[in-house]
Amino acid sequence: MTRFLVRRLLLTIPVMIGIVFLVFVLARVIPGDPCRAALGERANDTICNAFNERHGLNEPIPVQFALYLQDLAHGDLGFSIRQGRPVSELLIERLPLTVELGLYALLIAVVIGIPLGLLSAIRRNSIIDVLTMLVANLGVSIPVFVLGLLLQFIFAVILRDTFFGLPPSGRTVAGAPVVPLAVAWGLDGLGGPLRGLLDFVSNMYTVNYLVRFEWERFIDAARHMILPAVALSTIPMAIIARITRSSLVDVLGLDYVRTARAKGLAGAMVVRRHAMRNAMLPVVTIIGLQLGALLSGAVLTETIFNLTGLGRTLYEAIIGRDYIVIQGFTLIVAIGYVVANLLVDVSYAVLDPRIRLS
Amino acid sequence: MTTSSASLVEPPVRIATPGRLRETLRALLGQRSAVVGLAILGVFVFSALFANFIAPYPAEGSAAQLVRPGEPGRRAESCIHILGCPADRPETIFGTDGNSRDVFSRVVFGARLSLIIGFATVGVAIIIGTTIGAIAGFAGGFVDNLLMRLMDVVLAFPALLLAIVIVTMIGQSLLNAMMAIAIVAIPVYARVMRASVLSVKEQDFVTAARALGESPRGILSRRIMPNALTPLIVTGTLGIASAVLDVAALSFLGLTQIGLAEWGAMIGSEFNGIFSRPLIVLAPGFALTLTVLGFNLLGDGLRDALDPRLSR
Repeated sequence: MTRFLVRRLLLTIPVMIGIVFLVFVLARVIPGDPCRAALGERANDTICNAFNERHGLNEPIPVQFALYLQDLAHGDLGFSIRQGRPVSELLIERLPLTVELGLYALLIAVVIGIPLGLLSAIRRNSIIDVLTMLVANLGVSIPVFVLGLLLQFIFAVILRDTFFGLPPSGRTVAGAPVVPLAVAWGLDGLGGPLRGLLDFVSNMYTVNYLVRFEWERFIDAARHMILPAVALSTIPMAIIARITRSSLVDVLGLDYVRTARAKGLAGAMVVRRHAMRNAMLPVVTIIGLQLGALLSGAVLTETIFNLTGLGRTLYEAIIGRDYIVIQGFTLIVAIGYVVANLLVDVSYAVLDPRIRLS
Repeated sequence: MTTSSASLVEPPVRIATPGRLRETLRALLGQRSAVVGLAILGVFVFSALFANFIAPYPAEGSAAQLVRPGEPGRRAESCIHILGCPADRPETIFGTDGNSRDVFSRVVFGARLSLIIGFATVGVAIIIGTTIGAIAGFAGGFVDNLLMRLMDVVLAFPALLLAIVIVTMIGQSLLNAMMAIAIVAIPVYARVMRASVLSVKEQDFVTAARALGESPRGILSRRIMPNALTPLIVTGTLGIASAVLDVAALSFLGLTQIGLAEWGAMIGSEFNGIFSRPLIVLAPGFALTLTVLGFNLLGDGLRDALDPRLSR
């Protein structure tokens, strides 16, 4: 298992270098002058020259790339051209929201999608099956932004003053204080990566309130997450339900399942112990692939629910030609991909010993 | 052995003839999802074809702005009422948007745009994708590796984000948004085509055709293409659904022209209206969802009808 892991980790290095290079090139190919995009009316040749000098944009492109790599090696993601802040600061401020949202969405997708697919596969062609597949079809057909608006309309307009009412946008009720964990725990003097990590976690509001046992605030923050997380979860949920169904139907038709039945095992036991394990392989693959869908969905969901996370930041950076932010955030996304793929491979190895050994 | 060379070259899958077409159509109409999908799409095709007659008002431009009768300068308040409206307020079904344009008319005209978007985008993606896939599969070796890794790179980025980058690169317009979505969709068709080519490349009937001196282009178009048609049609139909969805998403984000009677753009420019006038947002939203659902159901039905191995 260790050898498998090490080999798998080493394989990610060339992929990462390729991604860094590609993102760098892609960011430069976007036409438009970052100086004029950032300064607007105030821009003239003298100011822009100084601006470009300060941000290293006067260097030849290969030199810029070399400098970029050098900074990366030091863990420095650079300064945002438009916001004049370190990209790492932006990341710590905005990425946690998207991570939080994405995790809740994935949780909903898995917890609802797998049982739905399982039920349809076991009761094939029953009314449950037909209904589930209808829901799955609707789930992949309804655009994230339409569903988000529909949810807002149902839960924040129609049901507003009832028990089921939910907040339409934002992360907390107005004015709710968010104390960084480092401050709350009296670690104010802490610096470096550890502080960054702590601040990152602090900005996942539900986690922040939870670990500090502020129940009321936690419930408030969680209630704000429900609608965007549900909107974001439908496409992955529908896909997971469909794959679970078809994969389980395949496996249930195999000889070894018939043998297990012939031995006299109870139906539920056959499904749980024998069929599910094999049927889960494609499902795990699909779950790993959902990261892309979640990210694309995050841009739209964050727009609808007025949240400033990774999706919105990246979108604004692309529109505003903020090269450094595009590079930094895309790099993080790429790392996310690599980690997701790694997790998928590892879970393969756990689910199926044959993969580990070959 | 009386097998003539002519029968050897006969591909195992016959090219569509009237008889086979009818057979396929019957199989298709036996699929519940295909019938529902076709019915939904029928409504939108009808609305697209006859938009001029169905929509009470124009959808775009200054002519679309409703004004008070006799007072050209003043915008008209919309009025949603079955029992008739005051004379100075034009009657509408879904109300009017922020520019006093009739939302119902815009939704009706939007069908035209969305259907064109779906077919054109997938058409471009299929033409480029199948060409790449065919070359890769046919040539093999280094060319194959190079082309398919290139496709992998495109697939490695989240589709919508890559499309946003491409639109920013080539300029914001509906045509460029469609172009971006087409580019992002190319790898899917390249893979399908390559797989089809590889699956029949070494079969006897292709070897025989080659031995008889048929040109590579002839082999590709007459021997291999018919075999690739089924998966391409199925993938393409499902692809239209996602193309409509993705272009609408770009439009929603404001990456196409302002004021376009496109469902995504209509939602994007008015989405705060959900709290006061939900119909002007939900109407284009439902139209969009139904169109995508229609193509998805049709695609599922086509797959089950055309490929009996998959239907269970």
